[in-house]
Amino acid sequence: MPLGQKVVVIGGGHNGLITAFYLAKGGFKPIVLERREMVGGGAVTEEFHPGFHASTLAHTLGPLRPDVARDLQVEKFDCQILQPDPRVFAPAPDGRALLFYSDIHKTAGGIARLSAKDGERYTQFAEALEEIAGVFAQLCSITPPAIDKPTPEDLWNLFKTGRGVRSLGKKRIFDLLRWGPMAVADFVAEFFETELIRATIAARGVFGTSLGPWSAGSTAVLLLRAAADANPVGSAAFTKGGLGRFTNALAEAAKQAGAEIRTNAEVRHIRTKNGAVVAVELGNGEEIAVEAVVSGVDPKRTFFQLLDATQLDPRFAQRMKNLRANGTVAKVNLALNDLPSFPSLAGTIGQDGFRSALSGRIHIGPEIDYLERAFDASKYGEFAAAPWLDVTIPTILDPSLAPEGKHVLSAYVQFAPYKLKQGSWKERASELGSTVIKTLSNYSPNLGNLVEAIQVITPADLEATYGFTGGHIFHGELALDQIFTMRPVLDWARYKTPIRGLFLCSNGTHPGNGLTGASGANAAKEIIHELR
Amino acid sequence: MAQHYDVIVIGGGHNGLTNAAYLAKAGKKVLVLERRHVLGGAAVTEEIIPGFLFSECSYVVSLLRPEIIRDLDLPRHGLEILPLDGTFTPMPNGNYLWRMNDHGRTVREIRRHSRIDAEAYEEFSKMMTPMCRFVKPILSMIPPDPTTLRPKDLKQLHFLLQRFRDLSSDERYTLVQLMTMSAADFLDQWFETDVLKATMSASGIIGTFLGIRSPGTAYVLLHHYMGEIDGAFRSWGFSRGGTGAISNAIASAAREAGVEIRTKAAVSKIIVRNGRASGVALSSGEEITASVISSSVDPHLTFERFLDPSELPSDFLEEVKRYKFRGSSGKVNLALDGLPDFKCMPGDGAHLRGAMSISPSVEYMERGYDDAKYGNFSRRPYVDMVIPSLTDPSVAPPGKHVLSCFVQYAPYKLAQGTWDDQREAFGDNVINTLSEYIPNLKKIIVGRQVLTPLDLEREFGLTQGNIFQGELSLEQLFFLRPVPGWAYYKTPIESLYMCGSATHPGGGIMAAPGRIASQVILKEWKGARSAAKAGN
Repeated sequence: MPLGQKVVVIGGGHNGLITAFYLAKGGFKPIVLERREMVGGGAVTEEFHPGFHASTLAHTLGPLRPDVARDLQVEKFDCQILQPDPRVFAPAPDGRALLFYSDIHKTAGGIARLSAKDGERYTQFAEALEEIAGVFAQLCSITPPAIDKPTPEDLWNLFKTGRGVRSLGKKRIFDLLRWGPMAVADFVAEFFETELIRATIAARGVFGTSLGPWSAGSTAVLLLRAAADANPVGSAAFTKGGLGRFTNALAEAAKQAGAEIRTNAEVRHIRTKNGAVVAVELGNGEEIAVEAVVSGVDPKRTFFQLLDATQLDPRFAQRMKNLRANGTVAKVNLALNDLPSFPSLAGTIGQDGFRSALSGRIHIGPEIDYLERAFDASKYGEFAAAPWLDVTIPTILDPSLAPEGKHVLSAYVQFAPYKLKQGSWKERASELGSTVIKTLSNYSPNLGNLVEAIQVITPADLEATYGFTGGHIFHGELALDQIFTMRPVLDWARYKTPIRGLFLCSNGTHPGNGLTGASGANAAKEIIHELR
Repeated sequence: MAQHYDVIVIGGGHNGLTNAAYLAKAGKKVLVLERRHVLGGAAVTEEIIPGFLFSECSYVVSLLRPEIIRDLDLPRHGLEILPLDGTFTPMPNGNYLWRMNDHGRTVREIRRHSRIDAEAYEEFSKMMTPMCRFVKPILSMIPPDPTTLRPKDLKQLHFLLQRFRDLSSDERYTLVQLMTMSAADFLDQWFETDVLKATMSASGIIGTFLGIRSPGTAYVLLHHYMGEIDGAFRSWGFSRGGTGAISNAIASAAREAGVEIRTKAAVSKIIVRNGRASGVALSSGEEITASVISSSVDPHLTFERFLDPSELPSDFLEEVKRYKFRGSSGKVNLALDGLPDFKCMPGDGAHLRGAMSISPSVEYMERGYDDAKYGNFSRRPYVDMVIPSLTDPSVAPPGKHVLSCFVQYAPYKLAQGTWDDQREAFGDNVINTLSEYIPNLKKIIVGRQVLTPLDLEREFGLTQGNIFQGELSLEQLFFLRPVPGWAYYKTPIESLYMCGSATHPGGGIMAAPGRIASQVILKEWKGARSAAKAGN
């Protein structure tokens, strides 16, 4: 096919933009069509209350995979990355607290005050994660191999992976085989005795998933995430001005490379003829003839809403239907007229002081059982009465987000199931907001008095406003049966689809794990290869 | 001085006896040492209440490897499997689900609940056949070491990969799902009827500390499904005379092959000289020497009780300590002077001759698990029960019956109290649960035996009461069972082997570990002899 042909990318989320960037670099003319008035998808900055801006949904960066960051050079486009350190502050109701820094040894020092043994083990744990993360990072950067007829590149990639795995040594290989399918609660218990440490690290294995820490396979999710950032608690980076700045910068980079980006341009339908894409139809009736379509929206929406499902091979459709994609996450953003205080933590807040301690992510989920109980509720269609919260107060490092002296508090709430057994999310949104404030008040008793406004984004809103089918922020459950060659479904994990000219590039594809850009970059490589 | 044996097998359960029988048939002089007064381990029948023979632990049979039945000629030694037809699940609303061996009848029964499910059930059964076919040879295989580049291991791994690639796309899709998904999620894709999903997924949790929504349970479902697959003989059944009769048949075959068996002979120590197991010491103080020790008891007993920590490499010991038992089930055996009368299907009938399952809904099953996660026995447990006396009258006095109830969950570690305090409360809770479906139950009970996980540990030597000698979770299967790097029936101590359910392919009355271990022992024996010859 000739270069310069028309390729449409549906959805201006981070993966869509990154794919567009690489396609443009590769000589194509991608047009990104975004339904909303701004690009960004799940990574946007919005004014949720007059004068208060928040990264309404995603509130910290992935981080971007290093090669993607190098290629796009977002820092050139008004995108300043803020790196809080400590990354994570984990308080317990009894007044104890832990600070997790970028520096492993500094963190270990703090942990040692709670448990000398755990302090030592933390360093070992971080090292183990670092070793394994290398192998996983390599796996995340490749297109899952074709099982029937592996291409020479597949074989080369597998050889490289095999070599990476072997370099770990016999003990680590067995560890890896053993850890992958394990419950993350067991995994952390192999290293630590203190519940607070166990819970803070284990949480990473269940974030955004329908898994509790006692669910088998949650360790695999944690290891997958370690590929993006090997720090045991993950990253906690912000963008000045909110994450919308970050996705705006991706859009600028794509534009500069030659992509066209249109907002308020909702794709209603992908038209096909003889099993190949021919055009996309927009909400305003406009039609764009295309040679190829790359979908940055989730797989279920792509196949069941944008396409005529009757045109799909029934076996493929069945597998796609089976893709588990019911979300468990909600988001609550608070406009606060002052910084909340945490009086019981005054003694444990750390040498760098109160503001510093709260500047990264705040983990509210002090015990494994606490997380598990929060998960239990969601199994029966209830949201957790004592939810696990992943909180940020971005205004500490970036006061520009709120009026002077005021603050924004943004909390991921887990577990909140997409399907409620009683009532609708519309009816119960405010109850969820109160639950979050109540939970936070256990640590910060005056919080309730500081609240000027609450924004509750329920799983139903995630679907309606942000376009995540089932409200799943990762476009499909991350679990052993939906990763690698099985993401989104077995036999179709190579960014291609049974419809000629239709590709996937969203988090619903391998490795599909937050704001790392890996799915978008991997997809672009395959698409360019395919279209040429 | 006592005589010297070629092999001492520790533990006279079905695996230990199988292991001994095969070794003796190959000409070895074998001694089996059993701590209890009866053989069988957890495959045992005892007269706990006068006149009533209880298959105390394991109560049905299905997975016993056909090659073992053949090789040891077990029917001649008294093994007789009686059919156990179907699973009957009563529901609180007065309805029920009754699956039978007759596929057509089952499909008709399911159609009563859902037309779509009846069709799906046909498809499902068709799909499970190649799945079982894929897994079966793996059950008889010594797991390869995935970390080496030795030709033998690579060949085996390649064999597995090739078999996988030979599957059709749909078969592969189902297989990877079975290996990775939860039983409930897996079945959700096929069926809509809650009670059907609950009952089918129940076999995915038996003996594990997992819920039906825990990933990995779809595999256990397959593990149990295999019994139902090819032909009547290998479907689920009772052994005439109780489960202990299986062990007795194997023991008889072993004795015929020359095995010497001693009961009330508790091993207290494995004697190691120069890094080599050379015998055992009994709790009586007696010492017996042998060239090879084959332990059918679990890794905790073998390595942490019978050996001194200093005799084992520390990283191995660490892995042994990490090995998860986590017993999750108990057993309630009832002596009855009449037949249970189900509210939803009163009177005697074929439904009483099969398994009866208290698994009315997916939520019921999962809530039972939630209780256990936090250290409580399930307020409303999953119960799988049988009345063997209807099929095999020899196990109860005339007109009376035995009701054998497998109960899950009963966590070994209780959040409050001890099992000694909670035993009767646990038993009462089971009977209360059953009474909701069987109103006459309390009136017909004339005796009961309640076995908690603690009792399983104390009486039967099952550490933490795990009926499979260790969790059947993904990280403890195949080349990871019991511990990574030692899934080949060997141990770091020379001439000490493992042959129990803690080794691949695991529990259930399969006897496969005992058989595979005997092959390893015999092969190494030959190897050692030729090495010795070469040395000369």
